[in-house]
Amino acid sequence: MSAQDFPRIQSAPLSLDALLSGSERDDCGALAIFAGTVRNHHEGRAVRSLTYSSYARVAEKMIREIEAEIAARFSVPVCLAVHRVGSLAIGETAILAIARGHHRAETFAAMQALVEAVKHRVPIWKEEFYADGTSAFVNGCTLVAAEDLPPAESRLHCTPVQSLAL
Amino acid sequence: MQVRVECCGVTARFAGAARVQMTLPEAATVRDLFALLSERSSEFAEVLARCACARGDAIVPRGTVLADGDELALLPPVAGG
Repeated sequence: MSAQDFPRIQSAPLSLDALLSGSERDDCGALAIFAGTVRNHHEGRAVRSLTYSSYARVAEKMIREIEAEIAARFSVPVCLAVHRVGSLAIGETAILAIARGHHRAETFAAMQALVEAVKHRVPIWKEEFYADGTSAFVNGCTLVAAEDLPPAESRLHCTPVQSLAL
Repeated sequence: MQVRVECCGVTARFAGAARVQMTLPEAATVRDLFALLSERSSEFAEVLARCACARGDAIVPRGTVLADGDELALLPPVAGG
């Protein structure tokens, strides 16, 4: 399987070996790897588990577009990311990303941009399940086009993260 | 005309189901669909204001004219990673 045709949204545990396989480049001296794992707390609340869901038809396309965009912007030959969906326990890997570049500076920068873009622009949602038995979706960044947003509404709402307690 | 709407993330809670079928007048837009859904509750309307709409594999603006049989998705604010 080539680097381009594996699914970016996966329900099985993510494999770093699988992501790295076939990505080797003789002209690259830097390899950056990022793994985002499930944390046991959020805004002071104890978290037992997370459930990620996605709208895969858009998410698959968008992650590929982001990879190509970041690779071009930072001149790094390899930029790949995969995201897990389903119920994840504390410590499990939710996102894996790799970047291979000629030198470390652009490779680190590309990795940071790649992960930020996947977190903020791809239709993936996170529901947290708390120790007290309640759950909430983590509020994030709207994908609404700027011209369709209400006045004074900002596109980015990721800091601080707010919860929709239902 | 009828469209099928997949309710992603938190929107499924407000819609009461992961998928809903909606009946709209001919030449209705995404904005019209959102207005109809917003009638269900003020809380849903508040969430919809920050939802994008996907048709197939593309996010489409509010002014997009819908067609009978369209498969749409409500995409609330995202929080991956």
